[in-house]
Amino acid sequence: MQNGFFDFEKEGLKYCYYCGKCSSGCEVNRLESSFQPHRILYLLNIGMTDSVIGGDDIWKCTTCFTCSERCPQGVKVTEIIWFARTMAVKSGHLPELIMHQKETLLRTGRLHHISHIDNNKRGKVKLPQLTDASSLISEIFKMTKGDE
Amino acid sequence: MRYAFYIGCTVPVKALKYEVSTRNLAKGLGIELVDIPEFGCCGYPVKSMDMFAALLMSARNLALAEEKGMDIIGICIGCMATLSEAKKYLEDDNLRNTINQKLRELGIREYTGKVNIKHLARFLYEDYGLSSIKEKIIKPLESLKFGVHYGCHYMKPGHAYDYFDNPSKPVTLDILTDITGAKTIDYQNKNQCCGLTIMGTAKDLSFRLASEKLVCLSGIDIDAMLLACPSCCIAYENNQRLVGEKTGKKFNLPVLYFTQVIGLAIGLDEKDLGFEFNRVRADRIIEKLGPY
Ligand code: SF4
Ligand code: SF4
Repeated sequence: MQNGFFDFEKEGLKYCYYCGKCSSGCEVNRLESSFQPHRILYLLNIGMTDSVIGGDDIWKCTTCFTCSERCPQGVKVTEIIWFARTMAVKSGHLPELIMHQKETLLRTGRLHHISHIDNNKRGKVKLPQLTDASSLISEIFKMTKGDE
Repeated sequence: MRYAFYIGCTVPVKALKYEVSTRNLAKGLGIELVDIPEFGCCGYPVKSMDMFAALLMSARNLALAEEKGMDIIGICIGCMATLSEAKKYLEDDNLRNTINQKLRELGIREYTGKVNIKHLARFLYEDYGLSSIKEKIIKPLESLKFGVHYGCHYMKPGHAYDYFDNPSKPVTLDILTDITGAKTIDYQNKNQCCGLTIMGTAKDLSFRLASEKLVCLSGIDIDAMLLACPSCCIAYENNQRLVGEKTGKKFNLPVLYFTQVIGLAIGLDEKDLGFEFNRVRADRIIEKLGPY
């Protein structure tokens, strides 16, 4: 996928031996015990990719990188979850927030649109005026087929 | 000292006190932050949609800075982690060549790998130097006590940041705060995530994460929480009342950026440090410091 530059293998998925050290240091796991990053990796390793990308768990990860730092095998757990999200979005499983963010990014080139009100507020405290950067991201998405 | 100021998407819309205090602190310290209007989104939100597009967005910003011959200083830890990680990915010749081909299609020459990326706090700590800051301090903040919140992306992923700070027990922001004469305290869940990144996809978890830290810090004798990221500030300050409502608590904890705190210590006026934008009033802190 994507010219082969990002894939689970490159981020070390197959080196996971399910010790669970990622999960035991994960704050989301502490709050919700059914969320376990090592379980996500297990499912991916046995080929149950669809159940991972179709499920809610990947969207509960805060991307805090604690698991990646703790892993004794150097597995980039956070990146793997991120990549699973990319796959989910491409196969149409996108949460409402992501859909909304994508729309704003495509329309304005920014995560938050700069409005007149924003610029007025900025002007009052002598901050430079800003504009949206419209076409940039749509161009980039077209190149990478991320707009499909 | 001229640096490309990477402001990101969130700061200029949601964190004016951070932007105002950063610009004035930089001026006060003699650091020239140059605005680059061509900079776009760092790519962080796009990582959840298309990792390759996200990398291309990061690379574009790095290439723009390189074209101007400047290193990058930023103040959002999310942007800094994303750009720093992209820099590491782009050390791979193959990947860099492919990305450069795409950059040319976007009308940008190329990225060769020369740009350094640092959060302002790291820059102050490593490059500007603690002793140089100390020289500028004319109003020591001895009466103040802070609970520092680093934010996950301040020092993680460690490899992207060359392990400039300890990924599981960071110290640099505390040391930077100590320089002002203020005290910093250790507390139980200091490394806990603010939860903002899952505000939209797992609201309940997000509020609980933010609430736990606010509970812990509210029970300790401090004047304010101190942080270095606009997103963390949204979780803990902009949303403070909401987080309380959702988790059955009541909070009244001032939240300051490190730039506001160092700014006070070098004698900048509260008006130049964006205190008017503090949602949880920080008047008590200003009163405590007394007239200049
Ligand atoms: S810490 Fe690493 S090796 Fe252990 S379960 Fe998690 S990813 Fe696998
Ligand atoms: S990055 Fe995600 S899975 Fe890993 S520790 Fe943080 S919240 Fe848990």
